Amino acid sequence: MEDRPKIIPSGDSAVLVEFENRIDPEVNRAVRALALTIESDRFPGVWEVLPAYRTLMVTYDPLQVEYPVLVDRIQGCLNRTGRIDLPPRRVFRLPTVYAGAHGPDLERVSQILHLSPEEVTREFSRARFLVYFIGFICGLAYLGGLPEKLRVPRLTTPRTWVPGGSVGFAGGQVNAITTDQPSGFNYIGRTFVILYDPRTFPPIPFTAGDEILFPPVSEEEALEARGRRAEDFL
Amino acid sequence: MRAFEVINPGVYTSLQDLGRPGSMKYGIPASGVADRFSARVANLLVGNPPEATVLETTLFRLELLALEDLVIAVAGGDLSPLVNKRSLPMWQGVPINNGDRLSFRGRKMGFRAFLAVRGGFAGPQFLGSRSVFARGLMGNPLQAGEILEAEKSGVQNPFLIPLPAEFIPDFSHRPPLRVILGPQQDRFSPRGVETFLSSEYTVSPQADRMGYRLEGPKIEHTQGADIISEAIARGAVQVPGDGLPIIMLWDAQVSGGYTKIANVISADLDGLAQVMPGEKLWFSAVTLEEAHQALREERTRWGEVQRLTKRNG
Repeated sequence: MEDRPKIIPSGDSAVLVEFENRIDPEVNRAVRALALTIESDRFPGVWEVLPAYRTLMVTYDPLQVEYPVLVDRIQGCLNRTGRIDLPPRRVFRLPTVYAGAHGPDLERVSQILHLSPEEVTREFSRARFLVYFIGFICGLAYLGGLPEKLRVPRLTTPRTWVPGGSVGFAGGQVNAITTDQPSGFNYIGRTFVILYDPRTFPPIPFTAGDEILFPPVSEEEALEARGRRAEDFL
Repeated sequence: MRAFEVINPGVYTSLQDLGRPGSMKYGIPASGVADRFSARVANLLVGNPPEATVLETTLFRLELLALEDLVIAVAGGDLSPLVNKRSLPMWQGVPINNGDRLSFRGRKMGFRAFLAVRGGFAGPQFLGSRSVFARGLMGNPLQAGEILEAEKSGVQNPFLIPLPAEFIPDFSHRPPLRVILGPQQDRFSPRGVETFLSSEYTVSPQADRMGYRLEGPKIEHTQGADIISEAIARGAVQVPGDGLPIIMLWDAQVSGGYTKIANVISADLDGLAQVMPGEKLWFSAVTLEEAHQALREERTRWGEVQRLTKRNG
């Protein structure tokens, strides 16, 4: 029997619901089910529902809803999560060019892993990565599902600039950064599909629960996707 | 309507409104004015709705040339505002003329000033807000030579007499920042929590709209500084492996993987916006009930200002 999730304050205008302390698709599924239940509950005073790997933050107006009332309400939602249907999983296939200037860390990662660059690319591009949640900055999708044999640490000195669309991994985590950023991840390829545009709504294509693949294509094909929406690659 | 030409953009000057609530689920910080009370009062004083877009500036140097007869108000920190060579009274609506030069000579008190113009500043909206967040490709800080436009429509009468002193925050008085401990309080040793609550911290030069990095005694963890990444509330005090706290603020990343020892209460965030790098601050733990009571008092004070400016405007 699992422990019931713990509900604790996170400052005076947010509560945190804590599930099992691990990165796991099933735990994350429970987080998303609770997020959807609370969102459809439309409880006055609730501002935002923010799922992460294994926690859910609910921000609220304490002058509109008292903390104990909100906690009771969330407890009620927890009892009903079994009844909610998660939206169907969408699968994005984002054309990705690997190696060379677009994948500055591929050679080094291959050496660390004692694999050829082709093997690293093949293993990586075969994997289906689950979108656990959206966060960080500029709509970054936190991806999981990296094959065990591709585990490498972060760079000891992060790069001060990595171009948006770079696809990489570190530890067990995977991401495709959405805009030019500093980063300590190992980048092995790049996609030119639009991953973030604050002039549109929603500003990002993915939601938690989606899956992303990064199929290898030629540089020419990858560049053909420049300026196209990720939804075109479902 | 063309309102100002930017002669000198000053330091970290940007258009801000009340931000973009609802944006965090898309991985975008809410942004918005750092000191909500001052910015909203500035708007009321020129007859704007409180949520109108204002200019937020820090420290000194901002200089603007009026391109129209305008009504303006400056509230927040005292950065010695001048119109031409004469000192501009803060916390009241003031008419200025086409060709006047508005400048900020230097900080006397506080850190951030808010300039409201009758009609409110115009500018592109992103996700329903004009708040500039350059890192997220939503506008840019002010540039020299830029023309600032203002809206003309939908305003009440301005408030052209000084706001009563009782409503003006005293930024020279620096009480401890009140915090709610947690959510990862248990990841710190009792001595670590004691260090955090009993030490004086200095705001480092790395303090901007994203967050305030603090310098001072190191806070001791029990089992490392990393957690599985999760959402970060505004005002969260995260403590990475070096033991030095960082207060996550208006433009901060929305998720992260460092332990958070505490969270500054909402009622104290406006005051924090007026603390500048090099200044000292310290923390005191309160209960959730005390934090909510402080918020009720803040809301009452705001209601009084709204009634007053409506009556006399």
